Amino acid sequence: MAGSPRPARRAVLVGGLGGFSAAAIAACAPSAPEQPAQQGGGAAAGTDTLTIATTTDVVNFNPTVGNSRSDQWVTGLMYPRLLTIASDGSKEAELATKWGYVDPTTGYYEIRDDFVWSDGKPLTAGDVAWTLNAVKKDAPSGTFYGQLANFVQARAVSDTRVEFTMTTPDSSLVDEIGFWGCVVPQHVFEPAGSIADFANDGSSGGWVSAGPYVLTKVQAGQSYTLDRVAKYPLVEGGVPVAAKVVYRVFPDVNTEILALRSGEADVIANALPPAQVQPLTATDGLAVEKATGLGYAHMVYNMDNPDLAKAQVRQALAHAADYEAIRKVALSGQAVSTGSSPLMPVLAKYHDPSITEYPFDPGASRALLQQAGYSADADGMFGLTFRLIYSLQDSVTSQWAQMVKDSSAKAGIAIQLQGSERNTYLAQTNDGDYDIYAGNFAIMDDPVLNFSLSYLPDGAINYTHVDDAALNDLIGQGAATTDLDEKVGIFRQAAKMVHEQVYDNIMYTQDLFFAHSAEWSGFISRPSELLSIVNPVSVASATKSAG
Amino acid sequence: MSIASFALRRLGRGVLTVWFAVTVTFLLLRLLPGDPALAVSSPTQTEATRALLLTQYGLDKPLAEQYLLYLGQLLRGNLGTSFTQSVPVLDVLAARLPWTILLTVGALVLTVVIGIPLGVLAASRRGGFLDKAVQVFGVTGQSLFVPSIGVLLLFVVGLKLRWAPIGGAYSDGTYGGQWYLSVLHHLVLPGLSLTLVQLGSYVLTLRATLVDALADDYVVLARANGLSERRILWKHALRNALLPATTLIGLQLGFLVGGAVLTETVFAYPGVGRGIYEAVTQLDFPVLQGAFLMLALTVVVANTLTDLVYGWLDPRVKAS
Repeated sequence: MAGSPRPARRAVLVGGLGGFSAAAIAACAPSAPEQPAQQGGGAAAGTDTLTIATTTDVVNFNPTVGNSRSDQWVTGLMYPRLLTIASDGSKEAELATKWGYVDPTTGYYEIRDDFVWSDGKPLTAGDVAWTLNAVKKDAPSGTFYGQLANFVQARAVSDTRVEFTMTTPDSSLVDEIGFWGCVVPQHVFEPAGSIADFANDGSSGGWVSAGPYVLTKVQAGQSYTLDRVAKYPLVEGGVPVAAKVVYRVFPDVNTEILALRSGEADVIANALPPAQVQPLTATDGLAVEKATGLGYAHMVYNMDNPDLAKAQVRQALAHAADYEAIRKVALSGQAVSTGSSPLMPVLAKYHDPSITEYPFDPGASRALLQQAGYSADADGMFGLTFRLIYSLQDSVTSQWAQMVKDSSAKAGIAIQLQGSERNTYLAQTNDGDYDIYAGNFAIMDDPVLNFSLSYLPDGAINYTHVDDAALNDLIGQGAATTDLDEKVGIFRQAAKMVHEQVYDNIMYTQDLFFAHSAEWSGFISRPSELLSIVNPVSVASATKSAG
Repeated sequence: MSIASFALRRLGRGVLTVWFAVTVTFLLLRLLPGDPALAVSSPTQTEATRALLLTQYGLDKPLAEQYLLYLGQLLRGNLGTSFTQSVPVLDVLAARLPWTILLTVGALVLTVVIGIPLGVLAASRRGGFLDKAVQVFGVTGQSLFVPSIGVLLLFVVGLKLRWAPIGGAYSDGTYGGQWYLSVLHHLVLPGLSLTLVQLGSYVLTLRATLVDALADDYVVLARANGLSERRILWKHALRNALLPATTLIGLQLGFLVGGAVLTETVFAYPGVGRGIYEAVTQLDFPVLQGAFLMLALTVVVANTLTDLVYGWLDPRVKAS
C-alpha cells in the first residue's frame, strides 16, 4: 500500500528507540561491590541496613551550605558537631570535651583525640580552626555562617585545642558555633577553593567522613546510601551497629507512612503530623518515640502598621486568640503553652513561671481597643482589619490561622487570611508585607541569639520591626555576661518586656513524635526534628532485633 | 516540495519554537514571587549575605543583560550551574534523564501495545457490548488525573496487596539481573498511572478512525476479492487508521512529559520531573531553565519527527 512504512524501516525505528532507552538505563546499572562495603565489624556490628524515609532530596552535600533537613541529616552522619543539645536546651559534649571562654572576647574548645577521618587522617584542632575561618571568609549560605557575626578568627593552639577571638563579648557564641557549626576535613575542602562554592558531590574520589557513616552512593531523587566507618568513638563499642544506612526520598509524610507500614522504610525522619501519632502508636509492628520540641509557633504584629504600633491593639489581639483550643484542635493536644514567653518551659534554666499566657478574653480585647480610642460599630466591629500571612505548606498553622480569624471576630477585629506557597511567604516576610505574621521556628535554643535576632533593630528575624531602647539595652547586657545567674535574670526581664508589650506572641512548643519499625530499637532521642532519633549517635546505635 | 526542503522548514520552525520556549521560561521564572537567595539561605542570614548570594547567582544584573548572558551560555552548550547544588546543570539533568526516558517511553509503548488491540476490538464489534465497554473505559481514562490514580494505586497495589513498591526506581543493594528486575518492578505503578491517563484518548481516536476506514471503498473491494476479515482489518484498514493515531502520539508527548512531572512526584521516581518539582521549591533558576529547555527540545524533536514520518507515510502532507 502506498505510503505505508516497510517492515524493515519500522523495525529500525522501533529498535533505535528501544536501544536508546535501554542504553540510557544500562548506564545506570550498578555492578556488585568487589568486597563487602562495610568497613567496620566490631562485636556489636551487625549486617543490617537501616532505611530512613525523608521527604526531600539532599540539595547540597557541603554541610556549610545545605540548609534542608535532608542535607543536615545526611551530612550530619559524616561531619561531626562540636556540641549537641540536651533535652533542656543546654549544650552537651560531642566532638568537643570542654568549651568556654579564656577571656570575654576569646572562646575555646578542647576536642577529642580519637576521631579519625575515613581516609585514615586524624581529625585535629587544625580542621576545626580551618573550618571556622573558611566559613567566616567565604560566607556560605547555610546556618553556620549566620552564627559567626561576632567571630573574628580561630587558631589551633594544639592538636586538641582551638581558640577563637570575637569582635565583642558574646556569651552565646561558643555554644552556638559548637552546635550549629560542624567540622569538615581541611585536606579535602581546602584544595577545592572557596568553601561556599564547593559542591562536595563526591565527584573527586568520593566522600571523607568522621561521623559513623560515609556516603558511598547517590541516586538523586531516590536514595542516599552510607556505609559504616571503621571507628566511631561516640557509640558503645566504638563501631556503628547497622552496616548501611539508606536515606530514601518519598513525596510526602503520608507516603512515608505507607512505606513504613509496608516495610520499605524502617524509620521516618520527619516529625509525624499530630493526627497520625495516635493511629501509628496503636499499629502493630511500629513504635513511636517522643522528642522534645525546642522551637515555638508564634504570631508577630508588624509595628510599621500605625494601629499595630499601639501596645493596646497588640494586647487586644493577644487576648483574641484561644490558645488552649488551638493546641487541642490543631495539634491534638501535642503541644505545651510557653506562657506567651520567648523563654519556653523547655529552656528550664531561663523559663519564668510568673509570666503566664494571655487569657482568651474577647471582652478584655474590646476594653483595650476602647481605651486605645477605637469604637465599635453596630455590628460590634472596631473597623480594624489586619492581613495575616502564613505558609500553605504548614498544615498546622493553616489550621490555627482560621481559628485566630474566628476568635478575633468575637473581639471585633477582622482578620484577612493570606496563605501562600513557601517562596511567596518568604518574600512577603522579608519585605515586611503583612500586618500579622504567623509561623514557627524549629530551634530557639539560646536566649542571647534568639533575642538578638528577634528583637534588636537589625535582627534578621525581627518581624515585629521593634526598636525599644530599654529592650535593646537588656539584650546587650545579657549577651555580654558569661555569669549564668546574671544572664538568666536579665533575659527574664527582657522576656517580661516582650510579653507586656506583645513584641511577639509566642503560642506553644510542639511535642514531636517519630515513628519507626518495632524491629529496630536502641534509638537515642534528642530534642528537635533536626536531631530527634536520626542524630548520628542514635543512628549508629540502632539495632535490628534477631529474627 | 522535496523531502529536504520539507525537513528544513520543519527544522526552522522547531528552532524558533525552542527559542520562544527558552525566552518565556527565562522571563516567567524571574516573575515568580520570592528570590532564590531567600529560598536557599537560612532565615538568620543578614541582608548583606542575601545580596552577596544574588551577586553570585548573577541576579543583580539588569534583566536584559542576564538574558543575553544566558543565551550566550546556551550557544556555547553551557546550561549553567545549579544555585543550590553548586554543580553543572547538565550533570543534574544527566543523572535524572534516563529515568524519565524509561518512564515516558515505557508508558508510550504500553499505550500503543494495549491501545491498538482495544481500538481494533471496539471498531470490529461496532455497537456491540465490547465496543461500548471500550468506549466507557476510554472516556473514564480521559478523565483520570495522575495524582488521584497514583495515590489509589499506591494504597491498593503498594500497601494492601504489596505487589509493587511504594516509591523509587529500584531497590538499593540489587545488582546485575536482579537490579533490572527491580527497575521493572518499580516501574509498574508509575508506568501504569501514566499509561492509564493517556490510553483513553488513544483508544477512542483509533476506534473512530478505524470505523471510518472500515467503511472505505478499498475495504469493500478487498471483501469482494475474498480477503479474510482478519486480513482486511489488521493489514489494510488498521494501517490507514494508524496515521491519525501516530499524530496523536506526537501531540501527546507534551502531555506525557507534563504527566511525568506529576507521576515522578507522586511515586518519588528520580526523573527530571521530580527534579523540576524540587527546583521549583528552591527557585533554582538554572536547573529549571535547563529542564524546560530539555523538555521543549524533546517535544519539538518528537513533533518534527512525527511531521517527517507523517510526510514520509503520506506524500500528500509534503505537497500541502
